[in-house]
Amino acid sequence: MSGELFRILDGNTFVVSDARGDIEASLTDPTGLFSFDSRFLSKWILTVDGQRLNPLSVDDLQYFESRFFLVPGTGTVYVDAKLSVIRRRAVGDGFHEELTILNHDTSPVDLTVRIDAASDFADLFEVKDALKKKGTYSSGVDDGKLVLRYERETFGRETTISASAPAKIDEKGLTFDVHIGPQSEWTTDLDVVTAAGAGGVYVRPKYDRGERRAQPNMERSLERWLGDAPRLESDSDSLKVTYQRSLVDLAALRFSPPVVGGKSLPAAGLPWFMTMFGRDSIFTSLQALPFTPELAETTLRALGAWQGSRVDDFRDEDPGRILHEMRYGELTAFEERPHSPYYGCADATPLFVVLLDEYERWTGDRKLVRELEGEARAALRWIDEYADLQGNGYIWYQRRNEETGLENQCWKDSWDSISYHDGRLPGFPRATCELQGYAYDAKVRGARLARLIWKDPEFADELELQAADLKRRFNRDFWVSDGEYFALALDTEGKQVDSLTSNNGHLLWSGIVEKSKAKTVAKHLLGPRLFSGWGIRTLAEGEGRYNPIGYHVGTVWPFDNSFIAWGLRNYGFKDEAAQIAAGILDAAEFFDGRLPEAFGGYGRDVTKYPVQYPTACSPQAWSTGTPLLLLRTMLGLEPVEEHLLVDPALPDSIGLLALLDIPGRWGRVDAFARGRGMLEGRLAAARA
Amino acid sequence: MDATTQFFTQLEALGHESRLDKVKGRLRLELVNGRRTDRWLISIDKGDIAVSHGNGEADCVVRTTKEVFEGLTTGKTNAVAAVLRGTVGVEGDRGLLVHFQRLFPAAMAAS
Repeated sequence: MSGELFRILDGNTFVVSDARGDIEASLTDPTGLFSFDSRFLSKWILTVDGQRLNPLSVDDLQYFESRFFLVPGTGTVYVDAKLSVIRRRAVGDGFHEELTILNHDTSPVDLTVRIDAASDFADLFEVKDALKKKGTYSSGVDDGKLVLRYERETFGRETTISASAPAKIDEKGLTFDVHIGPQSEWTTDLDVVTAAGAGGVYVRPKYDRGERRAQPNMERSLERWLGDAPRLESDSDSLKVTYQRSLVDLAALRFSPPVVGGKSLPAAGLPWFMTMFGRDSIFTSLQALPFTPELAETTLRALGAWQGSRVDDFRDEDPGRILHEMRYGELTAFEERPHSPYYGCADATPLFVVLLDEYERWTGDRKLVRELEGEARAALRWIDEYADLQGNGYIWYQRRNEETGLENQCWKDSWDSISYHDGRLPGFPRATCELQGYAYDAKVRGARLARLIWKDPEFADELELQAADLKRRFNRDFWVSDGEYFALALDTEGKQVDSLTSNNGHLLWSGIVEKSKAKTVAKHLLGPRLFSGWGIRTLAEGEGRYNPIGYHVGTVWPFDNSFIAWGLRNYGFKDEAAQIAAGILDAAEFFDGRLPEAFGGYGRDVTKYPVQYPTACSPQAWSTGTPLLLLRTMLGLEPVEEHLLVDPALPDSIGLLALLDIPGRWGRVDAFARGRGMLEGRLAAARA
Repeated sequence: MDATTQFFTQLEALGHESRLDKVKGRLRLELVNGRRTDRWLISIDKGDIAVSHGNGEADCVVRTTKEVFEGLTTGKTNAVAAVLRGTVGVEGDRGLLVHFQRLFPAAMAAS
């Protein structure tokens, strides 16, 4: 069935169904019950007297819970509206469904209620790429439960389905013979439990507090999560909605990998990227630092624990390298995919050091900086020893896993994202500009940590010398002098990949841009070729491959813009940063506060509304974190030793902004800002 | 000397391993070899490593066949993939194994 899909999730367990609550998946269809990157149910269809049901409405109660209201009958003619059906579903180590049928009639009814269930146990990668399975399936009835299984050598996955009401269970589902009195109801609990097995032994989940049914593990802390976050007050209702949406979505995106003792970090996106990603988890943690610093702590610990330790070509692993992506499914288990974990990204390693330093500046948590000294040093070493593939002092990337590794190992990772002005694509390896900025920032910040906390002034001096040298070379080698901006990359011959891109903004954020060049860079960013009115395009209008709905070649990425706004603030361009915040927050209003991964690069005067880029993942972690970082840049929040500096610059659309109880090394403090908008409004009121 | 004994001999000779500087805990390896099970106890105290052949309380118990373990020590098999596959079983503190697997050499590319 086409139409809207409904998702609920808890950690990396999620259910995607249609508006009836049914799951009817083909191999390539993205509906089902998923856990640890495997599909555990591909069919879950409810019929009453052999008929499918009609959806009336769906209540998204919470991100982990929804309720489907249904009536029998097909098409537009209701065969019998004297019955209604409610399915209330909550996810957590499988899911729990409460199925209720209400008889509104004055006479009793006898019904045959049937649930058809099956699973293809597809790996998430198979759902994306339509691959064939290599193991064997079985299904059977055991102890009053329907058990579905998939086994390949020692690898096993199992789904167990049971009901509280009496049912006839066969290998394909459950049948209930139901009698409902006049104006009465019938109900049953359905429990679907997922389990992973090895050598025929299955470990079924133990629920948090001894409950006998699937329960979301994260639910209990949602209220506390919201209560702990700073409170926002503003005259802008849309900003308040966006802020609340961001906090709830960020809660939904929490993911708890096995190595961090039940603590959580931001996964990359719902539902297909509910796993640890180096880049996405770091960027989102940076955005959320003034709000929920504990996400950064967990991110650092988990990525540190998984830091690369050897040269492994299949996984593109090097000593010191920070992982790109971790997966748990069948293809990863049998090494048909390299995600155990996969290390092929060139930015997460320097960004790991950047996050560690920024985290300490906010929280004062020196203990963690001492604990991760070895990991931070190894990351800094990686920049010089393993990433400099051309031996000329820059970070380069080229995959060693030619078959299933990633070609582009920067955030713009689609095949055509790195192009010359005339549209040609450079060969490999490639040195994109923002990587050099991150490396510079990592060295500068690493030096601060070395001097202040690791008490190694010699190492600090060395890093600072390297950083200064890198900055000097970079401003010479990457500067496109006739266009007065930084090239997107260098190619293997040392020539500039000369298109104008949003990457210039990340360079401002990293601090690698010489002061004398910052003004023209800012001008380009806010100029008509890059700025659409909503935000800064990934690739400028007029470039060979520019396409306003091209993934990394013309769309506007909210996360990209939030870091650019931070960069503009770092170089003193307050008003320009506010202009970007205004555009992106205005766009958020069109999406009910939930910014998509990307939207079209069409000019604001042309479309009047932001055109969403079609993508399966929403919310996306770093889009969710975008309004948070924009609040930081609008308020001009900057930790300076034991204090939080507030230096606001609001866009005209916001008159008043207060962020209360901002956590940090200072305890909790408030930040207030008034905008020109309010001032002008007041003057107008006074004149009237 | 077989690959397994060689691995433990080398591990003990290391005395200290900086890649395990933050790790504190005891790991028991149970290697099934036909009807026999060989047990090795590895104590890690901030990078200091002590190895003994035999049983003992542990924070993390890793169970596999001798054959698979030799694959791990020679770089033929990747430990994480083997855990996901179910050929290596883990009980207790999985974080300890995540750190310990750093000592295994690189796996060869999957065919």
